[in-house]
Amino acid sequence: MATVEERVKEVTARILGLEPDQIKSEHSFTEDLGAESVQSIELVAMFEEEFGIEMDEDAALAVETVGSAVKFITQVCRQQGVEVEQ
Amino acid sequence: MKGFLMGKAKKLHPLVDCEVPNLLEQIFPYSLPPLIRFDSPVVEYIDGEAVKFDFNSIKDRELLITDTTFRDGQQARPPYTVDQMVRIYDMLSRLGGPNGVIRQTEFFLYTKNDRETLDKCRALGHKYPECTGWIRAVKGDFHLVQEAGLKETGMLTSCSDYHIFHKSKFRSRKECIDKYCEVVDAAFEAGVRPRCHLEDLTRADIDGFVLPFVDRLMEMSRQVPPEQSVKIRLCDTMGFGISYPGAELPRSIPKLIYKLNRECGVPSDRLEWHGHNDFHKVHVNAATAWLYGCDVVNTTIFGFGERTGNPPLEGAIFEYIALKGDLCGIDTMAITELAGYMRSIGLPIPDNYPFAGRAFNTTSAGIHAGGLRQDERIYNVFDTERLLRRPPRIAITDKSGADGVAHWLNEFFGLKGDNRISKIKVHQLARWVMDQYEQQGRLTAISDQELEAKAKEFYPDYWQKYKLA
Repeated sequence: MATVEERVKEVTARILGLEPDQIKSEHSFTEDLGAESVQSIELVAMFEEEFGIEMDEDAALAVETVGSAVKFITQVCRQQGVEVEQ
Repeated sequence: MKGFLMGKAKKLHPLVDCEVPNLLEQIFPYSLPPLIRFDSPVVEYIDGEAVKFDFNSIKDRELLITDTTFRDGQQARPPYTVDQMVRIYDMLSRLGGPNGVIRQTEFFLYTKNDRETLDKCRALGHKYPECTGWIRAVKGDFHLVQEAGLKETGMLTSCSDYHIFHKSKFRSRKECIDKYCEVVDAAFEAGVRPRCHLEDLTRADIDGFVLPFVDRLMEMSRQVPPEQSVKIRLCDTMGFGISYPGAELPRSIPKLIYKLNRECGVPSDRLEWHGHNDFHKVHVNAATAWLYGCDVVNTTIFGFGERTGNPPLEGAIFEYIALKGDLCGIDTMAITELAGYMRSIGLPIPDNYPFAGRAFNTTSAGIHAGGLRQDERIYNVFDTERLLRRPPRIAITDKSGADGVAHWLNEFFGLKGDNRISKIKVHQLARWVMDQYEQQGRLTAISDQELEAKAKEFYPDYWQKYKLA
């Protein structure tokens, strides 16, 4: 099973039209990867669908980098009883 | 004087800093339209004399609205059916409320359809608006008024020389006045109150014809009981009236009202302003008439009327509330119902038309949508949901962002508080919107109809629950 980081990069690549290996943990979704307003919303929605979780809207949209998203999603999965590969 | 040029400041204005906002709620209460308040009298120079007008007296005067939707309003369109007029009359009654802010409405009396409509409206049993008639200045027409059992009728007494000589072909002004006064006498004899419509007043010779005519009408009125005394309708037939202080007669509304009111002695409650919108002045001219001493303004719903239309009734309603500072029993929700009804019978109302157009409180920019989410007062003129059942809305374009799309969707489904759909859940609709511009090259705003179709497609559960239930 793929790790949280791999899955986050996979979803991010799909939404933003990039290759997964172009995406680094330290990349900012907006400044480095070019996510626009609607794409930010799509990313959160697709992360929810990918992991089967529900995220707080304001908290999720405040996440800036890919690495922070991995941590945030891991934490939400743990809180909501969803098992994931570290 | 050439105007004020940049020069040395006459007065410095220190900043009044604060940490709690001053929202000027004594003027902008939000639960009502912004109030119109006055802090000093107005001075108008009339015949070389300074005359003071105290607009604050308006709170103690009985301002009224009358309606001519079925007369002037109908001259501009194919006839309404009897049922349509009865339905509109019923809504007018509710809009004006139990105090009769909409006091009267007038009917043609010439056809079987006209008379049937009048009977059916009166059969509803509403106290207001009272039904009055409209006839030509012809003695023979009074049998129509009598047969209809009306207490009051308007009659054409055109007063510009364009009408006196070129339309009615009178040989002199005296012959014209004598003829008009014969008809007024006939009204008195029939026990009917005449309302003389001074047609084309703003293009008439005021000193040479209008004032002598009105003097004579006032003299005649002294011979009959007060409830039969002549009313005067000031008809700005071509929309020439001007509200500005200092304007000259015959176009000056302040001077016209002053002359009729204070020189001829026509009481304010027997003066009525009837305007036309040929120069985009129609509503302000009517409101000006109110301020300067004419108690009654004549209107049509949504301003429908001959050529460019009449003072819009719903505009007068909000002006009334703003001047009085109170709803006075008015049911403003009826405006929204009237708009829906008029559309349903094929009368178009422009989208940007105040108070009733589909987009009158719709904002387009995403940054405005963000503002509306934080506090709708930022971009809404008053509580349009409370007064018109029309919450502020967002027009969706590529600039709307997810905020705008979420706002539109929640308003569309009528969702509030915790029931509101989050921005995250509107991503499909937001993506569809962006694709319209980025993929399809669209340059226009997306219509409500298009968004509604997509809302049904993307959110079938909400549609089922909030639109079909």
